[in-house]
Amino acid sequence: MDKLLLENVSKVYGSGENAVTALDAVSLTVREGEFVAVVGPSGSGKTTLLALTGALLLPTSGTITLNGEDTKRLAPSALAKFRLEHIGFVLQSSNLVPYLTARDQLLLVAELAGKRDKAAHARATHLLDALGLSKRHHHYPEALSGGERQRVAIARALMNDPDVLLADEPTANLDSVRGREAVQMLAAQVRTSHKAAIMVTHDERMLDLCDRVVRIADGRLSDAPMTARH
Amino acid sequence: MFLALRELRHSRLRYGLIGAILALVAWLVFLLSGLANGLATDNGSAIQHLNADYVVFQSGARTLLHRSILPMQTVQAVKQVSGVQDAAPLGQFTITVQRVGSSEQIDATVLAIDPTSFLAPPIITGTGLDSANQNGVVLDRTAQRHGVKLGDTLKVMPAGQEMTVVGFTEGQTYSHLPVIYMDIPLWQSLRFAAPGSAGAITDPISAVAVKMDSAAAARVAADVPGVEVATKDSTLQNLPGYKEETGSVNMIQAFLFIIAAFIMAAFFYVLTLQKSNQFGVLKALGASTRFLARDLVGQVLLMTIVGVIVGALLSYAVAAIIPAAVPFALSTGLVVVYGGVLLLVALAGTLLSLFQIARVDALVAIGRVD
Ligand SMILES: Nc1ncnc2c1ncn2[C@@H]1O[C@H](COP(=O)(O)OP(=O)(O)OP(=O)(O)O)[C@@H](O)[C@H]1O
Ligand SMILES: [Mg+2]
Repeated sequence: MDKLLLENVSKVYGSGENAVTALDAVSLTVREGEFVAVVGPSGSGKTTLLALTGALLLPTSGTITLNGEDTKRLAPSALAKFRLEHIGFVLQSSNLVPYLTARDQLLLVAELAGKRDKAAHARATHLLDALGLSKRHHHYPEALSGGERQRVAIARALMNDPDVLLADEPTANLDSVRGREAVQMLAAQVRTSHKAAIMVTHDERMLDLCDRVVRIADGRLSDAPMTARH
Repeated sequence: MFLALRELRHSRLRYGLIGAILALVAWLVFLLSGLANGLATDNGSAIQHLNADYVVFQSGARTLLHRSILPMQTVQAVKQVSGVQDAAPLGQFTITVQRVGSSEQIDATVLAIDPTSFLAPPIITGTGLDSANQNGVVLDRTAQRHGVKLGDTLKVMPAGQEMTVVGFTEGQTYSHLPVIYMDIPLWQSLRFAAPGSAGAITDPISAVAVKMDSAAAARVAADVPGVEVATKDSTLQNLPGYKEETGSVNMIQAFLFIIAAFIMAAFFYVLTLQKSNQFGVLKALGASTRFLARDLVGQVLLMTIVGVIVGALLSYAVAAIIPAAVPFALSTGLVVVYGGVLLLVALAGTLLSLFQIARVDALVAIGRVD
């Protein structure tokens, strides 16, 4: 099933002479359980693509359909709720809330959704354990290693059981071993819980963990030949 | 309050300091209100507690008791005006007395009344005034600080007339001096000792205290010749120095509220700016501005309430140990009101931060916006 559908999506920043076309009629389909990597040079539009997919930005033209829902139909005030229900972001490591323990980072998502109940606690425990953090539930981000933080971020992104997982350079601050570990966890979660995932990365060594690699240059996508994984 | 509570717990030092400053500001506000209240009470509690609604003065006396002289007949004239419930003579004079057997000179304000009238003060020890005992007087209990006891003989300086302390009352000060209540004739002998000082008036008093409503007051002003009428409250406000004292303390207090607002605004704005990126991340995760705003307001309210309570406790501690001679009177009503004002002021101070929270774009989370 197609979880995520981008059809002729364009994004133009600014207007008139200053207009920058960051994305130019991009189309992309991600199926359930599929882990797609997006690679490309700096300024090619990777972050813009993620922001549009994650309903942080609205496209200039084209449609983005997420789990059957057209994001353009949403009122600006409904976007936060939409993100809360359908999207999980894995951001750079600095993006954990500094005064929340690993467990509270996850419970926050439940709190935002107004469902911080027994089930949420159980889910938080399950996710942290699944990501190898069973001894780190009550640690603050400052007491976690970079790799552990990134795993907490992955757990947090999964907490709301989103349809789509979006990761922007999740390994940027990690050494290659830790980075690879984090991406492996991400890939495993995508497959076991049937998410659709897009990961933007600079790191070509991670590409073998992905199902498909998409190259982007000057706002245009091109499918790259499959790398190692089968 | 999910975030607020956890943040307070985690950044104890930071929020402890802000809370301490809040408590200090609240403390200062309460101390000043205690002082303003104390000064006002000290200056004019005898008028504050006067069992009357209006005071009738000689016209031109500008509601100052010491400038006003009226003939005793005015009491009857006032009583005859329709709508007047009751009226009683009042005399005022400032004297210096000395306890027999002591060299300490005590300044006091004499209030002369008819012992049987409604102006008789409440007695806490001893007995009240009695026309049969012309030299018996009732003192405010603050005179006890100067060692005055029941049964003491006081000499009026410099002439040396003697009087006996028969009772004590409380809450009766005038011009920051303890009040000596006495019968009208004794007062007349002191006040008008110099021949001709009462002019052509044979049985003089200072003013007439009246129980009546405002309609009757207007009739008194119109029908009784040679008088002016003031409410008890405006008489109090017009006491020498009253407005100046309470006015200056009130001004300091108003500034304190403004400063408190700015302190809160600055602290929370800086903290909010510092956390802008974090708010962006939270928004990207799906937090609404309303959720974040509620959290901030909850945090500010919680800290202000704790600060105000600590400040109030400190103020009551000060009230308990402050020397009795310092005019300081903490009123629980005022503590509650000013605590409420501080709360509102703190909330006003967070407006700036709320705007900032509303402005933060979730895009900062992916480094899209700086
Ligand atoms: N707010 C904006 N206003 C104008 N132009 C913008 C804006 N944001 C991005 N751009 C432009 O859009 C293009 C794509 O930017 P984007 O951030 O998506 O690139 P990227 O692939 O993520 O780059 P990097 O690898 O350096 O993060 C760039 O040319 C950039 O200058
Ligand atoms: Mg980028």
